[in-house]
Formats: sequence, structure tokens, C-alpha cells
Amino acid sequence: MKINKPSFAALLLSSCIVFGVAAVAQAQDASAPPATGQGTEYSEKGADTCLMCHTESWPYPIFPIFKTKHANRADTRTPFAGLQCEACHGPGARHATTGSKDATNSFKETSFLSVGQRNQACLDCHQGNAHIGWIGSTHEINNLACTSCHKLHAEHDPVLAKATQSEVCYKCHARERADFNKSSTHPVRFGLITCSECHSPHGSNAAAMLAKPTVNQTCYTCHAEKRGPFLWEHAPVAEDCTLCHSPHGSARPSLLSKTPPSLCQQCHAVAGHPSVAYTSTALPGGGGGGAAFLLAGGCINCHSQVHGSNHPSGVKLMR
Amino acid sequence: MKTAAQPFLLSMLSALCSVTGAADSAAANGQAAVDTSRWLCELCRFEDGLSGTLELGGGNVSDSSSKFGEYNGLDDEGGFVIGDGAARYRGAGGAYLNVDASNLWLDTRSLAAEGGQQGKYSLFLNYDEIPHFVSDSAETPFIGNGGASLTLPAGFPAGTTALMPLASTLRPVDLETKRQELGVGAAWTAVRAWEYAANFRHQTRDGTQGTTGAFFVNASQLVAPVDYDTDEIDASASYASAKLQAKFAYYGSKFRNNNASLTWQNPFSVPAFPDAVGGQLALPPDNEFHQISASAGYQFADRTRATADVAYGRMTQDDAFLAPTLNTTLAVPALPRVSLDGRANILNANVELNSAVTDRLRLKATYTHNDRDNRTPRAVYDWVSTDMFLASPRANLPYGFTQDKFKLRADYKTSANVRTSVGFDHDSNARTFQGVNTTDESTIWGTVTSRFLDKVDMTLKVAHGDRGNPGYQPVATIVPPENPLLGRYNMAARTRDSAELRADIAATDKMSIGLQIDASEDEYSDSTIGLTSGRELNFGGDIAVTLSEQTNLHFFANRQVIKSEQAGSQTFSTADWSGENEDTIDLAGIGLRHVAIKDKLDIGADYTVSRSSSEISVNTPAGGSAFPDLSTSLDSLKLYATYRMKENLSLRAGYWYERYDSKNWMLDGVAHDTIPNVLTFGEQSPRYRVHVITMSVRYSF
Repeated sequence: MKINKPSFAALLLSSCIVFGVAAVAQAQDASAPPATGQGTEYSEKGADTCLMCHTESWPYPIFPIFKTKHANRADTRTPFAGLQCEACHGPGARHATTGSKDATNSFKETSFLSVGQRNQACLDCHQGNAHIGWIGSTHEINNLACTSCHKLHAEHDPVLAKATQSEVCYKCHARERADFNKSSTHPVRFGLITCSECHSPHGSNAAAMLAKPTVNQTCYTCHAEKRGPFLWEHAPVAEDCTLCHSPHGSARPSLLSKTPPSLCQQCHAVAGHPSVAYTSTALPGGGGGGAAFLLAGGCINCHSQVHGSNHPSGVKLMR
Repeated sequence: MKTAAQPFLLSMLSALCSVTGAADSAAANGQAAVDTSRWLCELCRFEDGLSGTLELGGGNVSDSSSKFGEYNGLDDEGGFVIGDGAARYRGAGGAYLNVDASNLWLDTRSLAAEGGQQGKYSLFLNYDEIPHFVSDSAETPFIGNGGASLTLPAGFPAGTTALMPLASTLRPVDLETKRQELGVGAAWTAVRAWEYAANFRHQTRDGTQGTTGAFFVNASQLVAPVDYDTDEIDASASYASAKLQAKFAYYGSKFRNNNASLTWQNPFSVPAFPDAVGGQLALPPDNEFHQISASAGYQFADRTRATADVAYGRMTQDDAFLAPTLNTTLAVPALPRVSLDGRANILNANVELNSAVTDRLRLKATYTHNDRDNRTPRAVYDWVSTDMFLASPRANLPYGFTQDKFKLRADYKTSANVRTSVGFDHDSNARTFQGVNTTDESTIWGTVTSRFLDKVDMTLKVAHGDRGNPGYQPVATIVPPENPLLGRYNMAARTRDSAELRADIAATDKMSIGLQIDASEDEYSDSTIGLTSGRELNFGGDIAVTLSEQTNLHFFANRQVIKSEQAGSQTFSTADWSGENEDTIDLAGIGLRHVAIKDKLDIGADYTVSRSSSEISVNTPAGGSAFPDLSTSLDSLKLYATYRMKENLSLRAGYWYERYDSKNWMLDGVAHDTIPNVLTFGEQSPRYRVHVITMSVRYSF
């Protein structure tokens, strides 16, 4: 699996050629854009046509949309300042006359439109700012529709509210639900922070779609005291917080992936106390030695400055 | 790998050029003008003016527990006030104002306000608090907790904890912090394509946290003050057109700690070092980070898009150094500097190309470069070991990291219902001042996604990764040296295999089922000492059922098993002991929503059960040694009901019960004087049983 530099360069070059050919082929193929809906004629009275049938008693609540930003007519960018319902749902005359579900753009999973076509209705307006990276993002490639997460007709979109966002994410990220129910975790369970404070669901170029370019930059937005640089740095701390911490939650205190001294002894084996096998005989009543290295904080009992020290005598992270 | 980065960047840019040359020249798919003269929207229910809700009530917590109230602010038993509210105003010309306030009488209160003229400008104001109650079972003999100087009452110091006058001097102390954040901001849309935004956030964190201070082998758990201020600024200009989107931004963060140090009196007497009577810990120093960034996306053709972003920032830290020791009898040579002048330049760059080559084939290539160029000056420092004696001078090691990552993937639609994806990732990392200078990891992976009978979506993903390094080289300035057989797990040679299977089943119109299982296995075959293997298995499922138009049910369950093995050498040679860790975490829950009386009474219930156990064993030639399990157990039941007395008036009631038990051999049975040379807080594993009842009235206007 290990590749050398010439192989790597060849790989890069070939990828560039492939993309060049792809673009040329695509330019020739561009004369046949996909259909965006089956209707072609707009309705006679716009939303008034739609709301004749889609009344307040319609099973799927329509009317809360009038409390949302999309229904602010003074903002010329919004649907209701333009083609109203048909701005997103497409020309609806045929749907209005026939009632055919396939005669208007549906954003349900059963829609005749592909996910990409459905999303394009949103991207026509929402393509800048946080959405720059949507195309090619993990969520986009995995065929998520905007409406997989967003509820456009709801007065309060659950994915935009602190208290309810995580439940939307858990629909797919079940493992994270388990993590945030562990005893040591960030307060997502209590609705005090959201998934989107650390992750960019519309795509980012960072690992795990992080909101900042790296793990540590993301953590520093709340934990700026860990940023340094310190006089005496602890190398893994400066490199990646997740080398020791499980940010979504852990069964062990302080979101640690392991308990000291096991955690520390994965990397520290110099002669002397770091390399000693501390056994359960050091527990209270066990009769063995080494309790100071095992109980209370374990290694932290002395090396409390594990995140780095700016003390001139903090070489061993003890000052 | 580092040398390949720049040629690659150029290659990617040249590819961009070739794509540009082939950009779609098809005419814009123009839309014929629509006659909307009769689109009066008379049936539209636009809501102008003021509306909102107010909720007022009370509740009661049956028992005090810092663990139960860790983040929710309900740490004390007794009554509390429920106060929530929301207001919404819509005026002429797009004027709007939204205000949301919650938990106004709790430590989790928050307020969010946004107003302005939609489409032109908006103003924001946010305030929130997050408490963190860490412990209510700590006790300490120190005086001055919460401050920067800790002293001891009469009777100290003593040779061991057993000889200290703890019975008469221990006092309870809460370990807790509160984060408060105030943010203000504005966004302005000057012209349709451009949006400018700026926001400023001021965050304070106050309280106490646990730390430790040691004099050689004698240590004390201490209460450290937390008095932090952090200011953050975000400013950006965003541009969006059909083909090009771009964003230029500045981010600044300034951290200030109002306590530079924590000094404490040594509770231990050590005859050999009678002058080591006090110590001083450096608390986190003030620091700053400033970053400018630019990102852009360009739609070269209908189905080819490129994005690129670059961010350049600088971290600085220049707090004045503390004295090397408080021991006035030690003659310490002058420090080489009065402050660190610490600075690291941070560069993050990324280029991505994405193309749907045909209706069936899609390609994506990504190159990422991350660099922490640590420019902190190096110097040799004379230092004192725990205020007792002068140690050998040591040069600081300003660690730097460089990562170059290339990812290529292809997605092919084999048929209408089957999609196959394959990918290759190469991750190259370089580090300074570490035993392993470079690592290279290549990963290949494949995914098959298939839909059966329009009801079942299945995804199978497998991956294999292989990481290598050129070998371990001791860092000359680090003494004592590390065992050369040690493989640090972030740098060691490793193979990683993983597999994941996911099924989403629309069993009926009213029932959906999600099932997932994933497993991974890490082998550190070259590591004789350190982490040698890791395994993880995770499986679970979700079921959502619409039992009737009035009733919805949701069930979920998950099991996670995390195993690892490590080895050590007590003789500074080959491995002579091993350790095993195994965590098992189970979660199950059920949720019910029911409309008991249409338009009158809604009820609901959520019940969650979580269990975890951590098995640890250390095996030596003398035999195996299994520790008692670390465990946690949480049962949480929530019942709630909303009764609409009038169109605009509701009565809400809730009941919340939680039971939590935990066992941790690091704490349980460890009294303040259990360890002769460590004066501990005597904290015990938290456990609680708490009932919370709430009743409130909600008024809508």
C-alpha cells in the first residue's frame, strides 16, 4: 500500500487527465439538460390556485410557511416575492387541473425528481456562503436531499433549533446518539450545543466536515485556553485533541478514550515509573504499591499540565 | 511527500484550466416570462404585526446532584421557575424581529434576537449560559479555594497524608464552572450577489476546576481558579452568482486568563528538602489567533465544479514567564527570555474537483494541505524540578506538523438501483522534534449501494489502510530516552481494516427501519511496546412507526464494543507485560407521541437506558491482574403533556426521573489519606436518583 513519490505524481497526473477528459466529454453532453418537472405551464392564480385544495386542513401542514423567511414578500429573493409556491414546485397548471402528483415538483422521497434535481431548486438561491462546498460533500455524494434534514413549511425548522437539531442528525448518525448518551460528553443531550457548532453539514474540506480546517482549530473555538503555543508542549495535544479524547462522548471521565495510566502508557515507556505495570494490587486493600500512579488522577496526580505548560520549570508538565 | 505538494497543486490548477476550456457553452436555460398579474395571494396567510408565546410556571427537583445538574442547571433540590418566551414581529418593507428566550431562571438561560429588514440587513444579539457542575463530593484542607493562592491551616505540613490533621481541616468544595457568551452581529446585503457579515462574541468562563501540584513524589489535588475571557470576531464578504461563489473572511480570537498562576503551600514535609514549602503552577497563558481565509466554488460546466479554499493564521502567546521556583534557597541561572514569544503560522489549503463525467460516472479529487509552522524561538532553559532541585538544562521543542492528503473517488451507477464507489486516499504527515519524522498512509475503499423493491436501501463499505514510517529515531534532547521499541499510535506502522453495512427499510407506509453494523480493526504490527491493536464493533437499529394518525412510536438500540491491547517493558527492553481494555456500551430507548384528544391534549413519553462497563486487565509474568469494572448506568424517563384550554392558552406538565449509578476504582474507597503521598479530594463516583416535576402555562398572542 505504501506508494513512492513517482507513483504519487503519476496518480496526480492521471487524475488531472481524467478530469480534463471528463470536462470535454461533458461539454459535448451539455445539450441535454435534465427535465426539472413535468409541468410546463404556470397556474392561473399562483398560490391562490394551490391553496384552493391545499387548505389548512390538508394532512401535511402547508400554512406555517407563511411565518417563515421564504414568505417575506418584501425580500425580492424569496419565493413569495416571485412565483410563490411554483418558485420551488415548478409550473403547476397541469397539477391543478389533473391532480396528478407527477405534474408538479415534489420534494418527498417518492418524488419523480432525482435528489439532485430536487436539491437544485434550493441551490438556485442557496449556493453561496456556507453552501459553497455542498456539491461533492459527503452528504451530497451520499444522496441526501435538502429536505432530508430541512422542513421548509415548518415555522421552526427542527434542524435549525438547538434543542432539536441532534435528533435530526441521529436519523442517520445513530452511533453518535449512543455517544452523546454516555456519561462523559458535550451537552448536546441537553440542547446546549449543536452538532453544527463543530460540523458543517453543507460540506467542508476538513476531516469529518468540521467547521474549522482542523480538529484543534475547531476545539479552540470553545477551549481557547488550550491553544498556546506553550513553552513546553505535549506533542499529541498540539497535533490532535482526538488522540486522547473522544469528542462525542466516552464511558470514561473527561471524554478520555482510556483511563490513566493505560492511556499514557501507550506512548510513554521510559525507564522508571512510566514503564511499570500497575496492577490491581495497588487498589485500596490490595497490599501492593503504586497507588499514587493508579488512583485518583493516576498520572495526572503529578503531571497535571498535560495540555502544555508555560512555566519555565514545566518540562515534565508538573508546573 | 512534502516535496510533492506544490507540483500537485499546480497539476490541480492546470486541470482546472483544462476544465475551464471545456466549460459549458450551452445557452442559459431561460425561463419565459410568467404573467403574475392575477397572482394576488389572497388565500396566503401572511402574518404581519406582533405575535409570540409566553410560558411561565414552576418545577421541583427532588434531590441535589451535581452529576444530574452537570449541564442542565438543576443541581440543587427544591423549586425553580420556568420562564420561556418568543416574540415575532413582521412589519412593512420586510422589517422583522425574532426574539427567543428560554430557561430564564436557570443557569442554562439563553436569549436570541434577530431583526432588520429581510434581504437588506439584519442584526443579531445572542446570550447564553452553560454551567458545568463537575463535582460536589470534593473536600480539601486548603484555604482560599477559587483564588490564586492556597494556604493550609495549622497542623501542616506532615510526612504523609495519614499524619495530616484532615479530620479537623477538610472542607467541602464544589468544582464547577459557568460559561457565559454574549454575541452581537450584523449582516448586510449590499447588492444581490454580495453579503457582508460581522459578529463579535465575548465569552467568560468562571468558577473552579480540579488540578494537582506535586513536589517530586508527593502530590495534592488542588482547586484552581477559572476566570477566562475570550473575544472572537468573524467578518466576511460573500459573493454568489450562478457560476462563481466566493467568501473572504477574517477570524480573530483573543484569550485572556485573569490568573497567571496558582500557588499552593506544600502539605508534605520532606526532610531532605526543607525549603520546598510552596509551589506555583502556570495557568493557561493569554494567547491570540488571527486568520484570514478565502474560499471559492466555480461551476465550470453543468456537472463539473471546483472548490478551493485557503486559510492563513497565526497563533501567538507571549505571557511573562513565572519564576522558575519559589524556593528562595536555590540559585537558578537567569532565564534566556522573559517570555516565550511563541508563534505558529497555520496554513490550511484545499482544492477539490468534482465532475459527473457521464450520467453514470462521477469523479472527485481532493488535495488538502495543513501546516503548523511553529516559529517559537528555541532556547535552553535552566529549570527546577518541583521546587526542589536544579535539573539538567533543557531546550524547548516547538512542535510543527505538516499534512498533505490526496483523495480520489469514483462513483459509478451500475444500474438504476445500484451504485458502486471506489476510492483511494493518501495521507502524508511530517512532524518536527519527534521520534518519527514522517508517516505515509494509503487507504483503498469501496462501497456498494443498492435499492431493492423500492423499499430497502443497503450500503456496504469496506476499507483497508496501511500506514508506514521510516523508523524511530530518538530525539536527542529528550532525557531519559524513550524505549526504542515503542510505537506511538499516532505515528506507528498500522494496518486498519473496516467494514460497514447499513440498511434502511421502508417496511410499510407507516414503518421505517434502520439497521447498521460497523467494525474496524487496527494492527500495530511493528509496535513491540505501546498500543499493539485496537478493535471496535458497533451495531444498532431504529424503528419508527406511525401507529395511527394520532400516535407515533420510535425505538432505538445500539451496542458498541471497543477493545485494545498494549504492551510495556519494566526492564526497558522487550515487552514483559501487557494490558487489555474492553469497553461495552449499550443504549436503548423508546419514544411515544400521542394525540389523546384532537386539538386538546397531546401526551408523550421518552425512556432511555444506557449501560457501560470498562474491563481493564494488566498481565505480568507474576500473573494476570483484572481490575474491577468501571461502569455507568443511566435510566431516564420523561413524561409530558400539553392541554389546550383555549385557542391561545395551554397547560403543560412534565415529569422527569433519572437514576444514575457509576463505579470507578480510581475514586471509590479512595479517601483523602488512602494514598500516603497523594492528598486527594476524596471524591466518590457520582450516583443519584432525581425526580423533577414541572407545570407551566403557555400563552400565545
